[in-house]
Amino acid sequence: MAEPLIKIENVVKQYTRDTQVLTVLDGLSLTVEKGDFVALMGPSGSGKTTLLNLIAGIDRPTRGRILVGDAEVSAMGEGALAKWRSEHVGFIFQLYNLVPVLTAFENVELPLLLTRLSKKDRRRQVETALGVVGLSDRMDHYPRQLSGGQEQRVAIARAIATDPALLVADEPTGDLDAKSGEEILVLLERLHAEFGKTIVMVTHDPKAAARAHRLVHLDKGVLKEDVRAKGEKGEIGVAAAAAIAAGK
Amino acid sequence: MKFVPYVLKSLFRKRTRSVLTILSIVLPFFVICVLGTLLATLDADPSGGKGMFRLVVRHKVSLANFIPEAYRERIAQLPGVEEVTILNWFGGTYKDNRPENMFARFGCEPEKLVKIFDEVTIVAGTAAEWASDRKGALVGERLMKRYGWKIGDSFVLKGDIFPIDLELTVRAVFRGSDETGVYFDRKAVEEAVPWAKGQVGTFWIKAASAEAVQSLPRQIDALFENSSFPTKTETEKEFQNGFVSMLGNVKAVVTGISTAIALVILLISANTMAMAARERVTEIAVLRTLGFGKSLILTLILAESLLLSATGAFVGLGLFRLSFPALKEGLLSSPMAGFAAGMQLFPEVLVTGIGVTLLVGLVAGIVPAIRSARRSIPDGLRQVG
Repeated sequence: MAEPLIKIENVVKQYTRDTQVLTVLDGLSLTVEKGDFVALMGPSGSGKTTLLNLIAGIDRPTRGRILVGDAEVSAMGEGALAKWRSEHVGFIFQLYNLVPVLTAFENVELPLLLTRLSKKDRRRQVETALGVVGLSDRMDHYPRQLSGGQEQRVAIARAIATDPALLVADEPTGDLDAKSGEEILVLLERLHAEFGKTIVMVTHDPKAAARAHRLVHLDKGVLKEDVRAKGEKGEIGVAAAAAIAAGK
Repeated sequence: MKFVPYVLKSLFRKRTRSVLTILSIVLPFFVICVLGTLLATLDADPSGGKGMFRLVVRHKVSLANFIPEAYRERIAQLPGVEEVTILNWFGGTYKDNRPENMFARFGCEPEKLVKIFDEVTIVAGTAAEWASDRKGALVGERLMKRYGWKIGDSFVLKGDIFPIDLELTVRAVFRGSDETGVYFDRKAVEEAVPWAKGQVGTFWIKAASAEAVQSLPRQIDALFENSSFPTKTETEKEFQNGFVSMLGNVKAVVTGISTAIALVILLISANTMAMAARERVTEIAVLRTLGFGKSLILTLILAESLLLSATGAFVGLGLFRLSFPALKEGLLSSPMAGFAAGMQLFPEVLVTGIGVTLLVGLVAGIVPAIRSARRSIPDGLRQVG
C-alpha cells in the first residue's frame, strides 16, 4: 500500500455569520496517498473548496487534525504555514489568478522569489516549468496576450515552479472551453504520471473527475462516497463520475 | 531587490491614475518648497555673516518718526560699538509709481556706509568719487542693468516726504546682497530742506562682537527710554523681518498653508493606495497563497506607496530646482529684492519637503497595507476582480 501524504482526522470547520454558526465540514476523515490523483466532487456548499483550502493550509479547521507529510498543518502558525505552502504546495485556481502586470515568466517566478535561489537558478526553473506546460515561446507575454487555456497553463507552471509534492486545483477547467479544458486535464495527468505529483482537484465536471484515480464525493460537509478506479493506472471514467455526481 | 520589478509594475498598473497622483504630489510639493524657502529666507543672512554684527536703531513708535542726530554721540560711547552711521529713507518717485520703478533710496554718510557694509564691493567707479560728489549716487548693479545706466548718467528722484527733486549722478556701482538700492549723501537733502537737518530715520551700528550684539539693544533703548524720542534697537535681520511681518504673522500663515498642503497630499495618496489595494484583494490573496507572508505583503504595499510619494517628491524637487533661478530673479527685480537677497536652495527645506512627502506616503499606505495583510486568504480568493 502506498504511503499516505495527507491525513485528515475528524475535521470540523464552522463559520460564524453574525450569531449563526454554519458547519461546513462535519467530522470528516480522509487519507490521500502519495502520488494519488483525487477528484473532490459534490454540490455547491458541500465543503469541497473548504476541504481543499484546509489541505493546502490557507484555512484552519475549527476542530480536528490535518497532516500533510510530516507537517501538522492544522497546528502551524501563520508564518510557518506561509513558508510551508511556498515549499510544499502548488495552487491552480479556476480563474488562473495571474498577476496582470507581470509577464508569464515573472508570474511563474513569483513563488521562486521566496526562495534563496540565485537569479540564474530561478531563470532555469522558470524555463523548465514553462517548458513542461509547453509555453517556452510565450515567456514574455502578458496574461492579456494569452488565451484562457494558455493562462491556465502559465498558472500550472507557477504551481510546479518550486517542485512541490502536492498540487491543489480548484475547478481548473471551470472557466475554459472544452478543448482547452481537455488540454489542462491532459497536462494534470502528465504531472501526476510523469512527475509523481499528488493532485487534489475540486470539480463539478464529471469529465474532469473521470481523469482522476479516486473520486471523493462530499455532501453537506460529510464524506458521502469514496470511489477508487480499478487497476494501478486506471481512471474513474466519465459514466461513473457522472453517476456519483448525480448521487446515484 | 528581487521584488522591485513587481513593486514598479504594480505602481504603474493604472498608468493614468498613477501619473495624475504623482502630479498631484508634484505641485503641492513644489508649493511647499517655495513656501519653505520663503520662510527660511526670513531667517537667512544674505551678508554672509557680516550682518549679524549690525544693529539698527529707530524710533520706538514707527519708522515714520525721526530720532535726533544727537543720539549718535551717546550710542558711540557705549562699549562694543565699533561704528555708527545714519541711513535716512528718502522715498520719492522715479519716473512714476509703477512697481518696476520702485527701489530703495537712502540718504547716507558715504565714508561710514562702506565701513559698516564692508561685504559690499564697488565694481564700477570708486567710493571716493561717490563720496566727493554731494549729488553723487552709489547704485546697485542690478538696478544699473534694469535701467541701462552707466557711470556719469543722471536721474531725478522726485521727493514726497522731503519737498525736493534730487538730480543724482551715478558715481559708483556696488555688488552685494541687495543690488537694487540707490545711496546718496544725506546732506543733499538736509541742505535743501532745513527741517530735515538733525533728523535721523535709522542709525546703523557695527558691533564689535557677538556679545555686544546681544547686549547693545537693551543698553541703547534704556538710554532713551524716558526721552521724547524713545528708540527700538534690533539686529539687521529682525529689522528686515519687521517689514515682512507687517503683512501679518507670515510664519504662522506659511506654516499653516504648508500643513494644509501636506494633508491634501496625504488624502490623495491615501485614496490612491486604498483604491489600488481594493482592486487587488484577490491578487494579494493569491500571493499569500503562494507563501508571501503578511509582513512581506505589508512591505510591498508600503514600498509602492512610498515610491509613489518619492517619485512625486523628486519630480517636484527637480521642477523647483529648475525654476528657482527664475523665481529668485523675479523677486530680486521686485520691491521684495531686499528680502529675496538671502534666498537660496536651502538644503533643510528640500530635505524637510522630501521627508514630509515620504512620511505622507508611508502614512497613506499603512491602512490599506494592514487591511490587505490581515484579510483571510479564502475571503480574498472569493472576491472576484
